Amino acid sequence: MWGAFSSEWVKLQRRSMLGWGFGAGLFFPVLATILTIERAVRYPTFSGDHHGIRVTYATLEQPTGLVHGVVDVSSLIGLVSLCLFAAAFSLEYSQGTLRNLLVREPRRTRFLGGKFLALVLFIGLIVIIAVGISVAIAFALAPGKGISTAAWTSSTGVNDMLQAILHAFLAAVLYGVFGAALGVLLRSPAVSIPVAVAYFLPIEAIITGAIWSGGSNWLPDHLLVALAHGGNGDATYSHALLMLVIYAAAVAAGIVALFRARDA
Amino acid sequence: MRFHAAMTVDTSDTDAPFPPATGALGPIVASKLSKRYREVLAVDGVDIDLPAGVVGGFVGPNGAGKTTTIQLLLGLVRPTGGTAKVLGESVEHPERYLRRVGALIEAPSFYPALSGRRNLEVLTRLGRLEKSRIDEVLALVELTERADHRVKTYSLGMKQRLGVAAALLPDPELVILDEPTNGLDPAGIREMRSVMRGLADRGITVLVSSHLLREIEAICDHLMMIDHGRIVFQGPIGGLLDAQHTGVVARPEHREDLEKLAALCSAAGKPARIDGDVLRVTAGEDWAAELNRQAFGAGITLRGLEVTRATLEEAFFAITDADSDAPDSVEEQDS
Repeated sequence: MWGAFSSEWVKLQRRSMLGWGFGAGLFFPVLATILTIERAVRYPTFSGDHHGIRVTYATLEQPTGLVHGVVDVSSLIGLVSLCLFAAAFSLEYSQGTLRNLLVREPRRTRFLGGKFLALVLFIGLIVIIAVGISVAIAFALAPGKGISTAAWTSSTGVNDMLQAILHAFLAAVLYGVFGAALGVLLRSPAVSIPVAVAYFLPIEAIITGAIWSGGSNWLPDHLLVALAHGGNGDATYSHALLMLVIYAAAVAAGIVALFRARDA
Repeated sequence: MRFHAAMTVDTSDTDAPFPPATGALGPIVASKLSKRYREVLAVDGVDIDLPAGVVGGFVGPNGAGKTTTIQLLLGLVRPTGGTAKVLGESVEHPERYLRRVGALIEAPSFYPALSGRRNLEVLTRLGRLEKSRIDEVLALVELTERADHRVKTYSLGMKQRLGVAAALLPDPELVILDEPTNGLDPAGIREMRSVMRGLADRGITVLVSSHLLREIEAICDHLMMIDHGRIVFQGPIGGLLDAQHTGVVARPEHREDLEKLAALCSAAGKPARIDGDVLRVTAGEDWAAELNRQAFGAGITLRGLEVTRATLEEAFFAITDADSDAPDSVEEQDS
């Protein structure tokens, strides 16, 4: 498995993967952090809390305020992960490189496992760097707006930041499982990425909005959003994590079986 | 000559420079190997016995089953019938032999944004191979100077050479190359021949698939012909060509001697016909010297005497019973 991991790591150093992966992965949290702080208001307006358009200083001065913007867009990091994994797996088919790779590593489960772990590390780095830059920006912008950062450096603040990283990372990895599965199943980035984005953005929202309102507690995108936020109104953190682990295990088992059985 | 079943030429009484097919020890041995894709029987019960140390040619028209057979041998597709062994191991367990096999499958496929060297590094790391092999194989295919350029800037010929370099990375005992001369210029083709002969000289068995019959004839000493998923011939190329029609062409100094020369041939039981100012005799190579001797004895001076042999292309179509227009299609189609 180390061979597949190490080999994939070389491919991930392509400028396109670095540029696209880190570019998209950093863009949303950094932008969200800047906008959250710059648009923060001293007193509640609109709905008066963070579900409204503007966040209050009081909200940002909580220990969780440091990563407020990051948490809000952590599911978007997940979508970046979804596309990254789908592209990495399906490109091997569409570029015709899979056969060359399987000649060098015919043990297909190890091949899949090593490749997946390399992508997990890659998305992990994206999450850590994205949170790191967002935190740095938050610390840089907050004093200028008169927002107190005292709670951010408390043990609770640090703990909240680490939890935000963990939740965003777990969500990104689980998004990645679904992306990898679609990549292997559909064998083309031009098909797998649109299908993935279509399901995880409008389709599931349409299902829960118009067909099955109870689906928000069971369908993967809602659960992933809940996981990334550390739990929300749709599902508790533990329920989301449990369900997603079950889904991911089932999907991974199916994809491994398909990949092993299918002609290359 | 027509063959309705797989034909093997017996080399036991020839001076062939390679061991005869023995079955058990060949690096590639297959028995009734088949692959069916729903309605299509792509490979239909083929028996293969490739001797060790040869450059083996694998020819057949487009869609004949060459690439599927190669994929079966590399464990990339699973057989629906029969068995095969590569380097003594079943194709059901490719992990047991692929470390000793190098392969170039169909068009060379690489990551265009990575350099040639980095592409080889991907394969080296994946197969846990010696990193030092990268420079060695790049030098072998003369890509050292362009090794650090992105593959998307490479010509087709350079990609082809990089594909061969990738196949040679594991320092293999067996190399399987699918259309390795595609996209190469004449100098590149000559280099590729040299590389393949060099491999065989080092004891490495090479199986090369191509639709260019003249290329196969030039570089291979063993041949497998496949048509409609079936092996229609396998054996030494020399044996195949010897089994085909050979002839002697004689050109007497004086045209009026043609009739007399024809009579000499007929008397010896060799069919002959006058074709312009030459006599074409259906006979083996050894008849040329005898004809020269008899003509001299009859007071006929020959100003030309030539042995003609069937080309591989003629032999191929004799075997596959193709129509007269088919040679173009085989030479031009990319299989």
